[in-house]
Amino acid sequence: MEFFVVSALNGIVYGILLFMVSAGLTLIFGMMSVLNFAHASFYMIGAYVGYISTGCWGFWQGLILAPLLVGGGGMVVERYCLRRVHKFGHAYELLLTFGIAFIIAETVKLFFGPAPVDYPVPPQLRFAAFTIYGTQYPFYRVLMGAISVSMFIFLFGVIKFTRIGIIVRAAVHKPQMVNALGYNVPLVFMGVFGVGAALAGLAGSVAGAFYPTSPNMALDLGLIVFVVVVVGGLGSLEGAFLASMIIGLSTSFVVGINWCLADVFGLVGMGERFRSMGGVFTVELNSVAGLLPYAFMLIILVVRPAGLLGEKQAAL
Amino acid sequence: MNDLLEDEGRGGERERIEPFGQRGLTGDSSELLPAEPSVIMPITKKAKAIVIALVGAGLLVIPWVSSLGILNAAIKALIAALFALAFNLLMGQAGLLSFGQAAFFGIGGFATIHLMKSTAHGLAVPIVLLPVAGGLAGLVLGLGSGWFATKRTGAYFAMITLAVAELLYAISLRWTGVFGGEAGISSMRMPWAGFTFGSAGEVYYLVMVWVLGCSFLLYLYNQTPFGRLTLAIRNNENRIRFLGYDTHKTKVVIFGISAMFSGIAGSLLAIAEESVSFAVFDANVSAMVVLQTFIGGCNTFLGPAVGAAVLTFFAQEISDISRSWLLYEGVIFVLVMMFMPNGIGGMFGELYRMVQGKNRKTPKPGPSLRHFLRVTFATAVVFSAIIFSVEACGILFSEKYSAMRRAAGNHWVGFDLFGARWNPNTPWLWVTPALLFAIGLFLLPHVGATLRGKIKKFR
Repeated sequence: MEFFVVSALNGIVYGILLFMVSAGLTLIFGMMSVLNFAHASFYMIGAYVGYISTGCWGFWQGLILAPLLVGGGGMVVERYCLRRVHKFGHAYELLLTFGIAFIIAETVKLFFGPAPVDYPVPPQLRFAAFTIYGTQYPFYRVLMGAISVSMFIFLFGVIKFTRIGIIVRAAVHKPQMVNALGYNVPLVFMGVFGVGAALAGLAGSVAGAFYPTSPNMALDLGLIVFVVVVVGGLGSLEGAFLASMIIGLSTSFVVGINWCLADVFGLVGMGERFRSMGGVFTVELNSVAGLLPYAFMLIILVVRPAGLLGEKQAAL
Repeated sequence: MNDLLEDEGRGGERERIEPFGQRGLTGDSSELLPAEPSVIMPITKKAKAIVIALVGAGLLVIPWVSSLGILNAAIKALIAALFALAFNLLMGQAGLLSFGQAAFFGIGGFATIHLMKSTAHGLAVPIVLLPVAGGLAGLVLGLGSGWFATKRTGAYFAMITLAVAELLYAISLRWTGVFGGEAGISSMRMPWAGFTFGSAGEVYYLVMVWVLGCSFLLYLYNQTPFGRLTLAIRNNENRIRFLGYDTHKTKVVIFGISAMFSGIAGSLLAIAEESVSFAVFDANVSAMVVLQTFIGGCNTFLGPAVGAAVLTFFAQEISDISRSWLLYEGVIFVLVMMFMPNGIGGMFGELYRMVQGKNRKTPKPGPSLRHFLRVTFATAVVFSAIIFSVEACGILFSEKYSAMRRAAGNHWVGFDLFGARWNPNTPWLWVTPALLFAIGLFLLPHVGATLRGKIKKFR
């Protein structure tokens, strides 16, 4: 029971972090049909802004600075790079963001070196929120969860219930019509791209203090976030939330399970025989936790390519 | 031509967009890009023969005139060229963007190294035939994963290939028996028919013969009816389906062939290095081939090969001087994506037509040679500014420099760069790159005109 509760809590917090980053990605995709490879790089920049800010001003200033700076950077990328490439087709847009992700990773390495930097949780936040089964549960995890949940509610509210949200949703479905009605659709696109990037930046500055902050974090998280948006259905905010939770919880549970294939054969009394063969049969489940999301994505793509809650089909 | 189907076949807002389908290279940007992307350029037979002879002679004499370091870099460059050609069969010709080509590259390498180990224990397979094993391994894996991947198009296709490569990467780390874990697997090249393959020169010739042979095969592939079908699928898959072809099967075969040649490239690397480790499945390997192919120009046949060879060669040579090579490569890639989507290869095609004075394909006269030279010069100036700032930052933010500062009592100290001494206290360190950047921007025709206009307005 203890394992179950702690794993569930950790899984929910990890899932919520995944959602923070994937929300912007899926929003951008839904709108511009651009799979933004640089999105996780925005997350990384957010973490590094938080790191610098903690060194110069303070932790909380970082939480404000990171989304502002990263959001501004995202707008510049959209306005001066993506819009230029738009006429060559979606593949070029995807490749451009891929190149930008590459540049950001290398630039971060240039300034901060390839090793992880020391971006700790501020001391005043380092206390236990509550105690379950004798283990203290850190307050910072709860804070991360609270920030993302409020973000989700805010985003959902803006998109579903405000005038801006209506314009954004309309621009997703019929950009030309919205343009003809007198709204500046390119500006809306730039805004959405900026907001998406800002969300990733905020997620980075919050999560960077908890998880290691290194130039590899973009690639590590980026691939998982892609899995999340593809599984959830490209362009669907609810789908991204569902998929984040599923992947967060499943990885968190799998890490605590040390079954292997030989144990499965053990159910029919052949366990020892397979165990002696070694190789794949003795690989424990927790050591392949990293595989799980990709296997999950492959199954989804083959069985239900639109994703769990996706509507858009097969557009790039 | 393909507008016919596009307008009638599009149902409401549900557009189907292929990477380089109707909306891509042949659609609304037709004036920018050649109509028939894979046809290189109308070069006369004589010019072709001269170029081939020169390149061939150059490749043949490299082992005689160059040092061991350059020779090793040349081997890597040749392998990268073949890998890029194999990738471009998928990307440039079939319009399928794969982000997981490293899977086939790596599997070819591992198949070869296992066979090589067997030959060291007495199996009579000549070393020159080892790449066949790599090719077969790539083909089998390619047909298998290609069957799933080609069911989808666009971003989904890219995601499936990415997932396959990541799965293999994760498995290769865990499954020590087959992939050798972190250390990888090593073996020895066995002598064959009087060749010992002990020297880099002999390995170079082995690699060169395989790379040139495979490139020629890939070129011939283009000329076959199946090669034409590959292009047609990219341009308009629906139409091909209406004509009665099974496009899924066709794409699986194309995917398999591309994977096979990738496997051969990986196997050549295994032969050259005598060892393979899980690192061949790394996402960076897949990323590099994408970057290099597009810088070279994915719409020309030889562009990707030349691009990959040159970039890999430089990466090997420059890695001692600068740590920021990958950054420059990324910057070049982004600039190419933004300003010349046909890549360097496409640019040379333009240039050739310009020199020949016939711009038959484009109705309006193309840019003049003078314009081209001006842009090139301005880009070079901007790039020198970028290189200067990057290298200066690289030094200023290095551990070594902060140690120097601490030794000097937390004062800024001078450092050597490009044969001069720079001190962060003097303005020159900051003015030089800014000036270079400004000059370059003003020289660029479009940017310069906009900037001049803005300055006038401001006054």
